[in-house]
Amino acid sequence: MATTTAPTTPSVSSTDPTNVIVETRNLGKIYRDFWGRKKVNALKSLDIEVRRGEIFGLLGPNGSGKSTTIKLMLGLLFPTSGRAFVFGKDATDVAKNERIGYLPEESYLYKFLNAEETLDFYGRLFDMPASVRRERAEELIQMVGLQRARRRQLKEYSKGMTRRIGLAQALINEPEFLVLDEPTTGLDPIGTREMKDLILRLREQGKTILLCSHQLADVQDVCDRVAILHQGELKELGRVDTLLKVQDVTQIHAKGLDEKTKQEIKDLIARSSGEMLRMDNPTTTMEELFLEIVRDSDQRPGRRGSGA
Amino acid sequence: MRLSPEQFWTYFEWMFERNALLQGFLLVLILAVVGFVVGFVIALIKHGPAEGFLQVAKLIRELFVVDIPKTSIRRIGAIARLAIKEAIRKKVLVVVAVFIVAIMFAGWYLDPQAQYPARLYISFVLTTTNYMVILLGLFLSCFSLPSDIKSKIIYTIVTKPVRPTELFLGRVIGFSAVGTMILLLLGAMSYQFVVRGVDHKHEVVAISADGGTGETSIQQFHSHTFTLDDSGEGVTNETKGHKHIVTKSGDKIVVGDSTGDLEARVPIYGSLRFTGRDGEENAGLNVGYMSEYQKYIEGDSLSSAIWTFKDLRPSSFDKELTYDMTISAFRTYKGDIVTPVGGVVVFRSMDGSVVSERFPFKVKEFQVDQRSIPLTGLKGFRNEQPADLDFFKDIAPDGKFEVMIRCQDRSQYLGMASADFYFRARPMPFWWNFTKGYISIWLQMVIVICFGVMFSTFLSGPVAVIATISIIVLGFFGFFVDGIVKGTTEGGGPIEAFIRIPLQSGSGTELDLGNVPLEKSIRFVDKAILLSVQVLSQAIPNFIQLGTADFVAYGVNLFGGLLSRHLTICFGYFLLTGIISYFFLKTREMAA
Repeated sequence: MATTTAPTTPSVSSTDPTNVIVETRNLGKIYRDFWGRKKVNALKSLDIEVRRGEIFGLLGPNGSGKSTTIKLMLGLLFPTSGRAFVFGKDATDVAKNERIGYLPEESYLYKFLNAEETLDFYGRLFDMPASVRRERAEELIQMVGLQRARRRQLKEYSKGMTRRIGLAQALINEPEFLVLDEPTTGLDPIGTREMKDLILRLREQGKTILLCSHQLADVQDVCDRVAILHQGELKELGRVDTLLKVQDVTQIHAKGLDEKTKQEIKDLIARSSGEMLRMDNPTTTMEELFLEIVRDSDQRPGRRGSGA
Repeated sequence: MRLSPEQFWTYFEWMFERNALLQGFLLVLILAVVGFVVGFVIALIKHGPAEGFLQVAKLIRELFVVDIPKTSIRRIGAIARLAIKEAIRKKVLVVVAVFIVAIMFAGWYLDPQAQYPARLYISFVLTTTNYMVILLGLFLSCFSLPSDIKSKIIYTIVTKPVRPTELFLGRVIGFSAVGTMILLLLGAMSYQFVVRGVDHKHEVVAISADGGTGETSIQQFHSHTFTLDDSGEGVTNETKGHKHIVTKSGDKIVVGDSTGDLEARVPIYGSLRFTGRDGEENAGLNVGYMSEYQKYIEGDSLSSAIWTFKDLRPSSFDKELTYDMTISAFRTYKGDIVTPVGGVVVFRSMDGSVVSERFPFKVKEFQVDQRSIPLTGLKGFRNEQPADLDFFKDIAPDGKFEVMIRCQDRSQYLGMASADFYFRARPMPFWWNFTKGYISIWLQMVIVICFGVMFSTFLSGPVAVIATISIIVLGFFGFFVDGIVKGTTEGGGPIEAFIRIPLQSGSGTELDLGNVPLEKSIRFVDKAILLSVQVLSQAIPNFIQLGTADFVAYGVNLFGGLLSRHLTICFGYFLLTGIISYFFLKTREMAA
């Protein structure tokens, strides 16, 4: 099974302008009604940069302006103020789409097509020749694990399968920049883990990823940098490890200590005028526990849990 | 069927001499100016004057410099294929099933005893197909894009390198392909329906003692009489729009298949002018009918109707020169409506030096009078001396000549229009004329699809349907608006008509409110409204003109020139709707 690795620092300089994939300058969006009256100020003066090779997370509660930001970057909406640039071009420039892959928050696909037809259709939209389309579709169907459902119409797919074919269509053109809107929505824990592993693998291949989610654990697991939005405003922007670091608390992980040694550590902290906050055994995450059980069940089918 | 002169203009004549190109250019220019002004005003409100102007200029530049050159055939093909799959999986073939049901039960509502059954069957299948295919095009084109926008599937399309031009072209081509498939199926079934419907065999049931005449059995509510010549060949009389060839082999007389009911006559028309009783040219007489379609010539005078033909070729004819006349008579004798009015036809060279003998005729009212003259051995006069003439050598050496008709009876009048006299060249096959009729329907369908797709770029599905239906209705009734504006249709404009209803004022009288300034104001506002509607109706397709069912039904070959004109008109609307769609797709927020 693939494992989730810790985010790594992008290997590029953030000051080099050619390494900026997305840039927003004073980007704002006001939704208006038919008569032009202001309804919602969805985004206010957003200034962010997404740099080549990083996984950038857009974080925020519902209605915080995450999806609006993505839609503005993709040219699905036009800004009320400011501008958004993707690959140095205006976000409304169709040419930029050659290098972009987009997975919407729900997989908006034609339900009467099957997986092969879907990938063939999107491949054609990238002007790909037939042989390349077939090859690429085959690779992606294998990658997202839809081999046995490739000829079924999408209307017969489960939500997880729909998500996977959605991801496959986003990758059909081997994009340099991938926009993933709530990529783990609708996926079970295994699917979620696979999606996160895939995102990390894609970064290792040099792709830049913009991830929009309100699943905090997902963002923490995969993102290099995050922007936190609330009520259309940027509240925080920075590296995940830096933002999460509690500066005045020291964490020590040790193994095989006896009670006496533990007491000595406590005394040492007291003598150094420090405050002992907690000393106990760490717990694993529910995700790790679940995956361990499933993995074990796969290896030894038929074994039942004993209960506790 | 009455052909109007503009229906037999050549393509070149229509395009350049009748200013179709100029009109099209002006229409595009007006729409471009209006589009630019509207676009600029919107951009001005949003971005201010300088930025607004730049935005509009950028949009126009992108159309010609970026989006048209970078339009990809493969992407258009992808969207078109998708449209086809979508239509098929949405069970569009139900249309074919409905059509099959319609023709299965056609016997319930088509009168088998009609005078011209073939005409009835052809009109029925063409009209039914026309309406079905137009409705199909309407619903396919209006709902597709709004449905993609509503279901947000459009997000995954426009975030690919898909250009607005491709969205429009892909959909128009896809839906047209679906419509074409349906039309081919309906056409094949219709053809079989017509051919089988008129197909029948007669037996000989009576024969005269000398074997020269006889009578056939009754089939499909009619029978024929026939005559046989000495060589044992003959023809029946014409009943229900057809005849049968009758042949005698040995003792047996065989009645062949019907002829003349499924035909495609190739008429060759000339231009008509009149002369008065003194021989001077005039516009023809009006005998008091409201319709001025036909003009009249006076009997027993120099008054004549003269057709000039400019391009009659020997290759179009066999041994005879066949011509059809649909001449009407206006009688001034009281009490005698039985005695036919007579006239003569004369063929003459352009300089008048060679003239054929006079061919007298009696007017067959409300019927096509078909006659023939020999091409060689034609009696006539050369420089006023009797001579045997060769038609194409002596009268029409370069294809140009004149035909003159005079009325022989004093105080009687003969009426005719330009299309009432024509030569019949070698006929075209019926199936080809039938196919051309379907091409006309196809063109109408494509126009409806273009408008449907255009409206769907900025309206929701149901509203786009209503907008497209409005275009179709205006297209069918644009002549009515035209009539009101020109004053030929009574009753006034919308406000005047609205006032007349409660006042129960007849449309034939002047509106009288007892207040002259008020009446003038109403007429002024009405005029402004009607002129606006007229401009609009000029910009929308005239479906009456585009319909050619009558040509096929009445067995007249659909001229290549007319079909080419319709094709050009269709292409014009395709360009117009494409450009409008482009600007709407380019300026709308797909996620709004």
